[in-house]
Amino acid sequence: MSNPTSRRSDRRSPAPSRSGAAGLLHTSRAATRWAGLVLGSLLMLVPMYVLVVNAFKDQDDIQNSPFGLPLSRLTLAHVQDVLDNPDFDLVKAYGVTLLFVVVVNVLSLAVCGPVSYVIARGRGRRHVALLLMFVAGTFIPNQVLLIPVVFVLKTLGLMGTVPGFVLFETCLTIPFSVFLYAAYIRTIPRELDEAAAIDGAGRIGTFWRIVFPLMRPVVATAVILHSLSIWNDFVTPQIILGPGSGLYTVTTGVYAAIGQYSTNYTVVFPNLLLAIAPALAFFIVMQRYIVNGLTSGATKG
Amino acid sequence: MTMLRRTRSALPGVVMSAPAIIMFGLLMIVPLALSVYLSFTNWNGYSAHPMGVGLANYRRLWHDPEVLHAAWVTGVLAVVGTIGCNALGLGAAVAISRPGKANRIFRAVFFYPYVISALIIGFLWSAILSNGGVINNYLTSHGHEALPFLSDPDWALGSLIFVVLWSGFGLTMVLYIAALQTVPASLIEAARIDGASPWAIFRQVTMPSIAPFVTVNLVLVLVSMMRVYELVLALTGGGPAGQTQTAAYLILGQSFQNNALGYGSAQAVILTVVTGALALGLTTLLRRRETAVAA
Repeated sequence: MSNPTSRRSDRRSPAPSRSGAAGLLHTSRAATRWAGLVLGSLLMLVPMYVLVVNAFKDQDDIQNSPFGLPLSRLTLAHVQDVLDNPDFDLVKAYGVTLLFVVVVNVLSLAVCGPVSYVIARGRGRRHVALLLMFVAGTFIPNQVLLIPVVFVLKTLGLMGTVPGFVLFETCLTIPFSVFLYAAYIRTIPRELDEAAAIDGAGRIGTFWRIVFPLMRPVVATAVILHSLSIWNDFVTPQIILGPGSGLYTVTTGVYAAIGQYSTNYTVVFPNLLLAIAPALAFFIVMQRYIVNGLTSGATKG
Repeated sequence: MTMLRRTRSALPGVVMSAPAIIMFGLLMIVPLALSVYLSFTNWNGYSAHPMGVGLANYRRLWHDPEVLHAAWVTGVLAVVGTIGCNALGLGAAVAISRPGKANRIFRAVFFYPYVISALIIGFLWSAILSNGGVINNYLTSHGHEALPFLSDPDWALGSLIFVVLWSGFGLTMVLYIAALQTVPASLIEAARIDGASPWAIFRQVTMPSIAPFVTVNLVLVLVSMMRVYELVLALTGGGPAGQTQTAAYLILGQSFQNNALGYGSAQAVILTVVTGALALGLTTLLRRRETAVAA
């Protein structure tokens, strides 16, 4: 497709010195770029269009014209059916999932903040080892780990419970959080800590009162990215909380609701739409922060 | 100052590290160790004492067509997914890295699947691609034959790869856009004035500058390809006839549904080791190339 230099010349065109052939080449390159981008966008957006439109149509209309938009026959009935589903209370699932997101984030901060501070300020080999151990956790395929985790949680009496789920979900945030926090704390001058020490603050106090408030940007990054992954996680709640607990997150609930009705599109589309809506709304509002967060996470690697 | 630091007790440091270490130890390291231990047993999940079976589980892996096929599917995903996501991501990044309203919209459009659960993406595409799904309804009602997107083994694997790329290249693109912004504009300008072709500039100026980002992106995508699970569950259910089962899908099904915890653990251990080795190997290899390219 295009590349940095051709984009650069886009801005200057039409350059007076450009010969006819080069100009033609340039125009055709710009046209290819636009064609590619528009085609790509269509491919990205049509599934979303299909989802939104069909959530408001009857089965006949979905079957006969899946891409059509029969304005006069659109209905809220099926969306209403999802909200009235006696087996799965979606509104409650929103609340439950949101609560999990909040609790896990708070717990993650409480657990990962202090250890990152110790690692970042430590000069010993054991601090490096500790960081490496946590970061290595990134490479463990975590669904695969769920099998033995179940037995650890059973031993602790936490299997099938909310604390068990929250603890494991928090544990999953450790590698990324510690990696990000430790790198960030290293950029905060040690002199601040030392000044606090002279004023008589202990290490724990120094971290929470002096260092932690300065970590706001990196904490925001971690919270945003963890929130998305907790909200979207399916395997962990499905296995640890299990269908037996009667406690559904958005993903496990939708999975249960769609399960045996996967060919009944008046069930499928409204469920999917309602499941996606909060994440998409979050994306539209927070897009810049999500992108910045991801970027800062990866560039520190 | 140094005096002060020496005399201060190590206790606060321990208190601050303990929660994370205990949590990580209990829920990451112990389970990992447990996996390794169980992989040498024939435990079914409820008998009181797992029986040691030595390397039997590992030997069985090499002759189990289901495992070998899942390894093949995972391998295809790893290779095609990693290369595809990076090629598409870099291409898109190059095309729209410049600021501007249109580019901002394109970025959002390419990236948005990142915020949606893989499970939901799988269900959505299943509704679009399955036999009674959106596309086939459209085709049949317009007098065409239905296409076996999810019902033919080869088509199903192709569909799975397509959806993986569809939902995954946006993240790669975002990271490459950030990478492109680190390339000094003066360097490109100088090369342009020297009469270098756009392609030459890309190869010889842009690529060496963004080499470290290429490494990060390749490894990130590779690791995520090794654990594709939810997408398979929702899109194909591993089908048709188990032909699109990935390693992660097989392991979870194997262990929980068949009560074959020992055997499932052996697969889990292999997957973890292979993922770690590939990530480490790829990083080492690319880091070496980065310096070679830069020189």
